[in-house]
Amino acid sequence: MINKTFIIIISICLIQLFSDNSFTVEPEEVLKNQKQELRARNISKNIRCMICQNQSIDESSASLAKDLRILIRNKIKEGNSNEEIYKFLTDRYGDFILLKPPIKLSTLALWVLPFVFLLIGIFVVFWHNKKSKKF
Amino acid sequence: MKKKLLIIPSILFLSILLTFFYLLIIERDPSAIPSNLLDKNIPKFETESLLRKERFISSKEFGNEIILVNFFATWCLPCRDEHIYIKRFSNEKGIRVIGINYKDSSDNAVEWLKNLGNPYSDVPIDKNGRIAIDWGVYGIPETFIVNSKGIIKYRHVGAITKKIYKKINLLIKEIE
Repeated sequence: MINKTFIIIISICLIQLFSDNSFTVEPEEVLKNQKQELRARNISKNIRCMICQNQSIDESSASLAKDLRILIRNKIKEGNSNEEIYKFLTDRYGDFILLKPPIKLSTLALWVLPFVFLLIGIFVVFWHNKKSKKF
Repeated sequence: MKKKLLIIPSILFLSILLTFFYLLIIERDPSAIPSNLLDKNIPKFETESLLRKERFISSKEFGNEIILVNFFATWCLPCRDEHIYIKRFSNEKGIRVIGINYKDSSDNAVEWLKNLGNPYSDVPIDKNGRIAIDWGVYGIPETFIVNSKGIIKYRHVGAITKKIYKKINLLIKEIE
């Protein structure tokens, strides 16, 4: 009995984990042109909701997130490129509005340090192994 | 050899502990996001004014003196809390304050200013929040110090408290 419930709970969790259906775009926001709408959705997924901070504006129902979703769609309709839209947003809100920090000189440590630590870790393990073999 | 090996991790651990302790006791708000507009010109805008018949044109208003720009709304409770300090800026310190009315009902805003007192030299209306986006605003109330050249020197997110009031006064003196 417990096993069955457990399996059901786990499968629900897994379905949630792998389904990509959580978005809050309201019907009146959706663009008629499907290609443009897809572009808007993809940009929205990379833009941080500044109020909730760990959600993208694609998932957030905060009013600023909605304003930005509409703004992005208007910019697409006006013929702006993705880069222009990202630049418009980062000019105002900084790199923080991007969910993935860009690779720059100031963020280099952020991107490189994990690999440096991994190398140090590998080195320490080998060093220890070598030493314990001696004894 | 074993003793030496123990000393290094303990020093490491202690230094991490000290760093965290230091970060705990210094005054900082980890959720505060620095404004990307610092040391940049104010975003230009033109809109209706709540108090006057003529339109508010930013290029006519900024660039002569230090101005505080305060984004507020009647539906925002912290705005009511900080109102007393906004009044002190304009009444006691003689600083010009422009209040941008964010996504609000104009009738409510007029009533609100009548009841609580109006510290603003002008109140441009931001009906759909578009001006706020240009200023990089994400949670009102937000307050900016703009210097006499029309350049943004400081941004505070959230209500102005006694501490922030003092800090802004100090900063204004420095900028002058």
